[in-house]
Amino acid sequence: MRLYKRAPDARATIALAAVIGLAALAGCSSNTSSASKPTSSAAASSTGTASTGATAQTSQCGTKPGVKAAGTPIPLGGIVTNQPGTSFTDIANMANAYFTCVNDNGGINGHPIKYYIESEQTNPGQIAAEAKQLVQTDHVVGIVGNTSIIECSIDHSYWQKLGFYIVDSGIAPECWSTPNSAAVNMGPRYSSDGAVQYALSQHVSKIVFDQSNVPGTGYIAAGPAALAGAAHVAVTQLTENVPISDANSVAIKEVDDAGPNGAVVLNFTPPEALVILQAAQKLGLENRVKLWGCSTPCNTDFLAQALGPKWNHKLFVNAELTPAFTSSPSMSLYKAILAQYGKAVSGGIGSFSQFGFAEAEIVVHALETIKGAYTVASVNGAIKAVSNFDTGQLCQPWTYGSYPMHIPNNEDYTVTPDNGHMVLAQGCTQISSVDPQIAAYRKVAG
Amino acid sequence: MPSWQDFQPFIVSGLALGGVYALSGVGTVVLYQATGVLYLAFGAVGAMGALIAWSLIHAGTPEWVAWLVCVAFGGAVTLAYGMVFGPPLARRGPLVKAVATLGLTLVLFGAMDLLWTANGGESRAITLPTDNGGFMVGQVQVNWTQVIALCAGIALVVVTGVFLRYTKLGTAMRAMANDREITATLGVPVRRVEAAAWLGCGLIAGLAGLLLADLVALDATTLTFLVISSLAAALIARLRSIALTFVAAIAVGLIHDLLTPIQSLSNYRDMTPFVLAAAALLVLSRHRVISLSREDA
Repeated sequence: MRLYKRAPDARATIALAAVIGLAALAGCSSNTSSASKPTSSAAASSTGTASTGATAQTSQCGTKPGVKAAGTPIPLGGIVTNQPGTSFTDIANMANAYFTCVNDNGGINGHPIKYYIESEQTNPGQIAAEAKQLVQTDHVVGIVGNTSIIECSIDHSYWQKLGFYIVDSGIAPECWSTPNSAAVNMGPRYSSDGAVQYALSQHVSKIVFDQSNVPGTGYIAAGPAALAGAAHVAVTQLTENVPISDANSVAIKEVDDAGPNGAVVLNFTPPEALVILQAAQKLGLENRVKLWGCSTPCNTDFLAQALGPKWNHKLFVNAELTPAFTSSPSMSLYKAILAQYGKAVSGGIGSFSQFGFAEAEIVVHALETIKGAYTVASVNGAIKAVSNFDTGQLCQPWTYGSYPMHIPNNEDYTVTPDNGHMVLAQGCTQISSVDPQIAAYRKVAG
Repeated sequence: MPSWQDFQPFIVSGLALGGVYALSGVGTVVLYQATGVLYLAFGAVGAMGALIAWSLIHAGTPEWVAWLVCVAFGGAVTLAYGMVFGPPLARRGPLVKAVATLGLTLVLFGAMDLLWTANGGESRAITLPTDNGGFMVGQVQVNWTQVIALCAGIALVVVTGVFLRYTKLGTAMRAMANDREITATLGVPVRRVEAAAWLGCGLIAGLAGLLLADLVALDATTLTFLVISSLAAALIARLRSIALTFVAAIAVGLIHDLLTPIQSLSNYRDMTPFVLAAAALLVLSRHRVISLSREDA
């Protein structure tokens, strides 16, 4: 009897304790998560020691420092994937930070930019609906910052029909192979090309190229296969189901296949690449191949820190963006904007926020050339007319152009981990025209 | 067909993988034996405990404290769930009880995605001191963490077997697994026995989460859904025998990895747990008489 009388009270007490405990843990985790991002914290402290100093740096983003734009807003839109395990919101949030900076410093001829961000969960119907919402409900005149697993595939015809020329960070093949999309990044195929190209430059005798088993693997693998074929180097193409639950067998398979004079080149997101590399280290396999390579997603200090010093100068990562440790006015502005306006950018300094910065910079540059009204025609005409624009974030000036396809970012760096940070291993190098897509682009773009 | 030398390193990795499945599988069966609940949140609880440990270590907390917190978190959350939701669902069928734990899985999974976002390419890892030492088997290094995981699985089987057979609490758990109502009418404090089972399973989940975060990946998705593969081992043992669960887990891990060097089968090796579970259930069920149970969900 007593047991039954106590039980409801005990259950309620335990439930309350659990809620309080989880809330406390959430608070601790938020604090410790912030503490685990030293690069973004350092950027904030170094640029924000004096608020006037930070403001002075960020004011360079606009044409009238310190003057808030108060005119009719210029509406722009962006669609990004945001789902468990895959979130590209940092890119759009960084673009938004840039626009906010511009709005605080004169806007576009006095007009603030109003940026609508739609997030999607890789649902084709949802993505198509969001594109229509941006156009028909939000009346956006330009699309910038799209970063989505399948958005280019779903919406490229729609954008083409309406005359939108979007500036995005591509993933799907259509982001580079259609006339109405120009990406600031290289994407998985050309980034993998860059990683394989570096391995080939080190005279390896075999390439093992391993990537996530997701739609588009054939398209991605075609580039590395062409490069290896042209160099008369054998190549093995592998795919792994993600998330990887057995990295040991993956690492053993890769190393066995590559051999002592071979290279293993990975095309995975950082967490998946990390588990493979750590498994290789734990099995004592990291020195059993000549070198390890990885496409751009591996270019994060998080990965360098997690790998530790055993991987110093053993892993070579394609970097499709100028390394953030580079000293330049553009990089200073990027970090200052991130520090002052980028609270929503959870990843801090890194490729994603650099993408967002570059895309916003390009579109702002285009908008500033418009003399009359900001309409779909004028805005997209200005975007298409962007030519040889130096974003400060890429190896080469960026051009949109009137081409049937766009691969404006086709030069890369190579970086390597060094005691917890990525450092430069090779400067700007053109992706080889052996890749037929690169050759086709260079033929039309000149 | 690959040679014996080609298979050798995969025997080592297969045993390590089997140890991983065994930790999850045995813990799941222990709780099922005591409460009739298929605890699908086993992976998520361990994953969240490991992420909390990672956050504490990065905040400067001594590692051993973080590890203890991880294990304690597993015990606390599982016990809390069991005490709050166990009694109201006690009379419901196994399917309802299992789906309810799926709710906890989704809540924890969502919380992990919110609190430990993967934006910006964060790559988290937990390393244990035992990662650095080891010995060579052929051309592959076996580290002590892998050995500990395998031994932990064996120890868990032995200790749990002894506990269930020779202690009063263990006997009460076995009785409850047979018939909860009759056990209660005999004066056994079923709520306390259940609480002990939930707490024990939760502590195992916390420990498994820590080891799996080191052996597999410190990733919420990977660790949460690892329970599905380990469930195959539990199903092969028909959720009855802990020892058989362990053997099945090792077998699943070995077969999974031994398929790796076979080119034509390598891409399908992730199906191994499910194919083996389905085959085992078909073979083991072929002589069973189908009966209708009066205990309905």
